Amino acid sequence: MNVNVQFREDGDLLLGYIEGEIDTYTAPILRDELEMIRITEGLLVELDLSNVNYMDSTGLGVFVAFYKKIVKENASLKLVNLSARLTRLFEITGLSELMEIGKGGATNARI
Amino acid sequence: MEQIRKQYKKILSDYIGNQNESDLYIGQNFIKRMIQKNVTPEEVISIHKQALEEVYDDLPDSVLHGYDFLIEVMVHFGLKVQEHQSLLAKQEELRIEMEIATKIQNLLLENEIPKPRSVDIGMISVPLRKMNGDYVHFMHDDERFLSVAVTDVVGKGVPAALCMSMVKYGLDTLEYANSNPSYVLEVLNRTIEKSIDDSMFVSLCYVRYDLSTNVLTWSSAGHEPSLYYDGESESFYDLESKGLLLGILPEAKYTQQDLDLKNGDFVILMTDGVTDFRNKEEFDSREIIKELALANRHLTAQEMCEVIYSELQKLHDFKLEDDFTVVIIKK
Amino acid sequence: MREARVVEIVTELDIVTARKLGRDEAKEIGFNDVDQSRITTAIGELAKNILLYAHAGKIVIEEVEENGLKGIAISSIDKGQGMKDVHKVLEDDYSSTSAGAGLPAVKRLVDLIEIESRVGQGTTIKVVKWLVRV
Repeated sequence: MNVNVQFREDGDLLLGYIEGEIDTYTAPILRDELEMIRITEGLLVELDLSNVNYMDSTGLGVFVAFYKKIVKENASLKLVNLSARLTRLFEITGLSELMEIGKGGATNARI
Repeated sequence: MEQIRKQYKKILSDYIGNQNESDLYIGQNFIKRMIQKNVTPEEVISIHKQALEEVYDDLPDSVLHGYDFLIEVMVHFGLKVQEHQSLLAKQEELRIEMEIATKIQNLLLENEIPKPRSVDIGMISVPLRKMNGDYVHFMHDDERFLSVAVTDVVGKGVPAALCMSMVKYGLDTLEYANSNPSYVLEVLNRTIEKSIDDSMFVSLCYVRYDLSTNVLTWSSAGHEPSLYYDGESESFYDLESKGLLLGILPEAKYTQQDLDLKNGDFVILMTDGVTDFRNKEEFDSREIIKELALANRHLTAQEMCEVIYSELQKLHDFKLEDDFTVVIIKK
Repeated sequence: MREARVVEIVTELDIVTARKLGRDEAKEIGFNDVDQSRITTAIGELAKNILLYAHAGKIVIEEVEENGLKGIAISSIDKGQGMKDVHKVLEDDYSSTSAGAGLPAVKRLVDLIEIESRVGQGTTIKVVKWLVRV
């Protein structure tokens, strides 16, 4: 089990494709990857989770920490293409009210 | 050492002489003794090389150089063995500390299941590892109200357990069983938000039951939705709420809702360890829990909790992946 | 007693030079094959640490004698960034990411290890292995 992140930059838009399972063991890897992003004001980070087939609460923690960092820097975060299972996880935890979650609009429009 | 060398040489030359299985067996037993005496791998090879040199005086230099090479590379092998041994000792130290910590946690989080007359309460909470990241807090300090908080700290093990102590004391200081669930969540949220780092949070479901009116008031912060079984319509309802996890936004607000608990009704509170079927996507875990509860609703609340635990454990091939907690309040 | 031999450690090739000198010295003092390998390994690890953490430094190899006991002393001297927690680098789980066996291994290979380190100024590590005839 592993997690893998690939980034693509397009002006003020940073697209990240996350693949794999995010659990207690892989969450630190994802956290490190996300920490490497240089967040600047006005940056939109869009993370595509279509290939994340599992996530537990530790994984959720990584996204919450990243979200807080983004907000602090006046940037924005969007999570896109979540499976039904992940969508439910974000809904139950109330995080879907906080974070922007949707379809990969920007991804399709700009590339 | 000299004695070991002599004995080794004897066993080796015996074997070279007749290739008996018994000498191989003796050799293996002998190496166990060498390990006990802390003889390192490179020393074993050196002993072997010397023994061969003594048995055969015509060994070619190339063979001896070969052994020198092996001794050299085996030094690192020996170091790894020693490192491994020292880590094992350290692990033992940690295990002992962990055991003490677990005892302390159990004492800290000890909480008796209240036994009011008009309602039946059952609970099961099983940690995945030694320390529990789930916690159930009961309050029943007067004749009228009874409160239950089911909490789950993100992560498992020690970090979760430490955070849990804070939640427990937060709940303790709120002290009254008659507090409004939404108020309890808002106060706890502010306390937790101040004290933990950005990737930690707590989910919590708070239920207050009024024994005089049979009104159950509930509020939830990012917690796995509870199940309400309505005996009259013989159907289950999810107690959904969009309350945010505790510890994320200091100003988060929580709502609360009421329901009338009638005879034959029950409510199941649980943590996500109960519903998380990681490698079994084909199962709808909440449906399974409903079926189990329905089939066993004639049992006591405690028995129902135990049946749900043992059945789910079976479904998971006895390899649950998270702390597991179920509380049932049954009228 | 012969005088101390000094090897400047600047490239990986210097590690091999230091090992060779150390092995010859150990052999002359009278260490057996296994101890020669251990001494050489310790020198290799110390020299590698210089390259990894200080980028340059030197290894000093000398014969020592104390209370009629002969031995070999190896010093690793660098002017790198130094270490804050000297005792920690001797623990097994400390340098989990390092490429070599590290200082805990060096400690196991010798009889005595002394570390002097100042943050921002550098580190001197001296190890001694005694020649004991069994």
